[in-house]
Amino acid sequence: MRVAYFSPMPPERSGIADYSALLLPALRGRLDVRVVKRGRKKAPRGTDVSLYHVGNNPDAHAWIVDALHREPGVVVLHDYVLHHLVAGMTVGRRDGHAYLDAMEREYGVVGRLLAHGVLDKRIPPLWESRPADYPLSSFVLEHATGLIVHSRTVSELARASGFPGPVWVVPHPAWPVGQVVPVRLAPGMVIGCFGVVNASKRIPELLQATATVRESHPEVKLLLVGPTSPGFDLDRRLQRLGLAEEGVVREGWADERRLWSLMAGSDVAVNLRHPTMGETSGSVIRALSLGKPLVVSDVGWFSELPNEVALKIPTGDDEVNVLSSALELLVSRADVREAMGAAAVDLARREHDVGRVAELYTAALEESAGGAAVADAVLRDVSEAAAEVGISGDAAEAKEIARRLAEVELGT
Amino acid sequence: MNVAVLRPQVPFARGGVEIFTDRLVDELRARGHDADLVSVPFKWYPGARVLTQAFLWRMLDLDEADGKPIDVVVATKFPSYVVRHPDKRVWLVHQFRQAYDLDGTELGQFGDSPEDRAIRRKVQALDRVALGEATRLFAISRNVAARLESSTGLRADVLPHPPQALEFRCDEYGDFVLSVNRLDRAKRIDLLLQAAALDAALEVVIAGDGPDRERLEQIARDHGLDGRVRFAGRVSEEELADLYARCLAVYYAPVDEDYGMVPLEAFLSEKPVLTTTDSGGPLEIVTDGASGLVVSPDAGELARAAGWLREHRDDAASFGRAGRAVAAEVTWDRAIGRLLE
Repeated sequence: MRVAYFSPMPPERSGIADYSALLLPALRGRLDVRVVKRGRKKAPRGTDVSLYHVGNNPDAHAWIVDALHREPGVVVLHDYVLHHLVAGMTVGRRDGHAYLDAMEREYGVVGRLLAHGVLDKRIPPLWESRPADYPLSSFVLEHATGLIVHSRTVSELARASGFPGPVWVVPHPAWPVGQVVPVRLAPGMVIGCFGVVNASKRIPELLQATATVRESHPEVKLLLVGPTSPGFDLDRRLQRLGLAEEGVVREGWADERRLWSLMAGSDVAVNLRHPTMGETSGSVIRALSLGKPLVVSDVGWFSELPNEVALKIPTGDDEVNVLSSALELLVSRADVREAMGAAAVDLARREHDVGRVAELYTAALEESAGGAAVADAVLRDVSEAAAEVGISGDAAEAKEIARRLAEVELGT
Repeated sequence: MNVAVLRPQVPFARGGVEIFTDRLVDELRARGHDADLVSVPFKWYPGARVLTQAFLWRMLDLDEADGKPIDVVVATKFPSYVVRHPDKRVWLVHQFRQAYDLDGTELGQFGDSPEDRAIRRKVQALDRVALGEATRLFAISRNVAARLESSTGLRADVLPHPPQALEFRCDEYGDFVLSVNRLDRAKRIDLLLQAAALDAALEVVIAGDGPDRERLEQIARDHGLDGRVRFAGRVSEEELADLYARCLAVYYAPVDEDYGMVPLEAFLSEKPVLTTTDSGGPLEIVTDGASGLVVSPDAGELARAAGWLREHRDDAASFGRAGRAVAAEVTWDRAIGRLLE
C-alpha cells in the first residue's frame, strides 16, 4: 500500500523532523512510503492514502496544511493547540479575513470580535496570550479523515470538539540509545532540565524548588540545557535566589549528541510545563530510554505517564512545595531513583519501541485507506441477506442486526 | 452444568478441531454435564465474507435452548468466539492466522490492496473485541497463547488437551516413518519426501488426505519414491492405531503449528517424534534427544535423523517410553477441571 508522507524532514531543526527520521525506516519496512518534497501541495500519483504531520509551528507545517486542505487524509496531530499555526497561515500571509473567518467558524461572533481586536492591535495576539483558550484545531480537523495522536488527552480533546472520524492513540517512538558517553558538568547530584528556558516550562518554580532543596542538600546542582526565551530574565532570578554563583549549571542549545550525553550525566530529569498545548515531549522519551527518574507537571500527556516512572507535580498554589518535596525525595533516595529508572527503561522498550509504533501507524493507515469500502461490503452483504428474508431497514430485527454489528465494530 | 461447545464447520473437512470438540463433548457428558455441540458453517472468502460469516455467530442467542438455560459456552476457534454469552469461555485452538503470522506468506490470504489490508485489520479488531469479552481465556498451547498476546495484548492460560482416544499400543519399531496429517502445504510433508529421496533406505507412510495430495504424489513420482512412500489416504481409527503401533517414528513438522495432537498420539504409542526447529507447538512437547529428534527444516538433516533412529532402535524405544510419560500428564480430568472451575 502506498502512502504519501507529508512532514518536515532533517536537516530542518524541528522535533517533528527528528521524529519522522526515526519513524520512517520502520514504517518503510511495512508500507510503500513516498516522502513528499517540502512545498509540494499534492500527493504523488498512485498513493492510496496521505499522512500529514501537523504541529503548531507555521514555518514547519503551513505547507503541509495547505496540502491537507486540498486533499483530506490522516493527520498526525502533534499539538492540539494550533492557534500559532493558523495565525501564521492567515495573518502571517497578510490575509486578515482568513483569520477572522477561522475564529468565527470555531468561536462564533465572539471569536470574530476578538480576532478584530487582535488585527487592530487593541488586544495582545491570542496565539501568545491565550492560545489554549482558542486552540483553532478545527482548521485542521475539518479536513482529517482520521487522527493519529500521542495521548488520550488529545484524543479526548478532539472528540470533545466534535471530530467524528477514527482516532488512533499511538505512542511517541523512543530513539535507540546508542553509544552515549555521560557528561557530568558538576560533582554531586545533578538535576537536569532540557528544553527552552521560559515561564511555561515552569523554570521560576524549578529555581525556587532547587534553592529549597539546596538548603538541606547543598551538593545538588541544577543543569539547565537549552536556549533562554527572549524576555525571560534568568540571570536576575538566579541572583535573587542565591543560585548565581553555584547551584545552577547553564548550557545553551545542545546538538543531539551533546543532549544525550548531558542527560545521561544527570541523576534526575525534570520536565515541567503549563499550559500544555497537548504535546508530548521528546526529552521525556529520551529520559525514559536512558532510565532517568522523571519529575513532570501533572498536565496533559504527562499525566498519562505511569506513576512508576514519574513524580507528577500539580500546577497551582502549592506547586513549588510539592516540587521541592519530589526533588528532595529523589536526591536523598537512591533506591527510589533506581526503581523509577528501571521502570522507565521497561516502559520505553515496551510502549515506545519504534517497531511497535510503526505497526500501529500501519494499522491506522490500512484501516483508513480501505476501512470504508470494507464497512460498505459488510453492510451490503448483511442487508442483502436480511432483505432476502423480508427484513426491511426499519424492522425491529434490522435494529438488532445493527446493534450486534456495532458491538463488534463491524459496518463502521 | 449445561455446556455448549462451539465449533465453526468447514463442510466436508475433518481435522484436529473436529476431533477435539467431539471428544470434549463426550468427556463433559462422561462427567455428568449436559453438553452439546453448536456448529455454524464458515467460509472465509472472497473479500469481506470472512467478516460477514464471522458475524453469523454474533446473531446467535445461546442464553438458553428451548427454555433450558445454557450455563457456559466454550468457543474454540475463529470465529466461534464472536458469539455473545454471559459466561463465554474460550479454549483457543487458533485465531484466523491468515490475518496474523501467515500474512504475507504463501499461506496468506490478503493482498496489498487497501481493501484487503483493511479486512485484515478488521479481523484483528474483531478478535480484540470478541476475545476481550471472554470470562475465561485458555489456549491449547504456549505457542497459541504467545501469538494471542503479541497480536491482541490478551493473556490466556495454557490448557493443553489430550488427543483422540485410539487403541494406542506399541507392537514394534518397524522400518517406516509415519506422517499423520491433513495434506496441505503448511503441514510440510514435502520435506519428508525430499528426505526420502536422499536416503534410499527411508520408508514412509503418509496417512491423511487434503488439497496438497496431488502435488505431494507428483513429488514422490518425480523422485522415484514409488514403493518406498505409500499414501494411505484417510484411514480408520483402527488402521491409524495400527500404523502408530508398527512405525519406527512419527514425523510431524508443520510450519509454526498451534500445538499438534500427533506428537501426543505418537507418544501414547511409545514412538519418538521427528520434528523441526520451526514447528512451533510440537516443540513444547518434544524434547530433542529425550523423546524425539529436533532438526533444522532441511531434508538432509531430516534424512540423517531418520537414519539414526533406524540404526539405534533401542534409543528410539527409549525416546518413545519417555514420550509416553509426557503424554500421560495431559488428561481430560485436569483439562475439564480447569475449564469449568
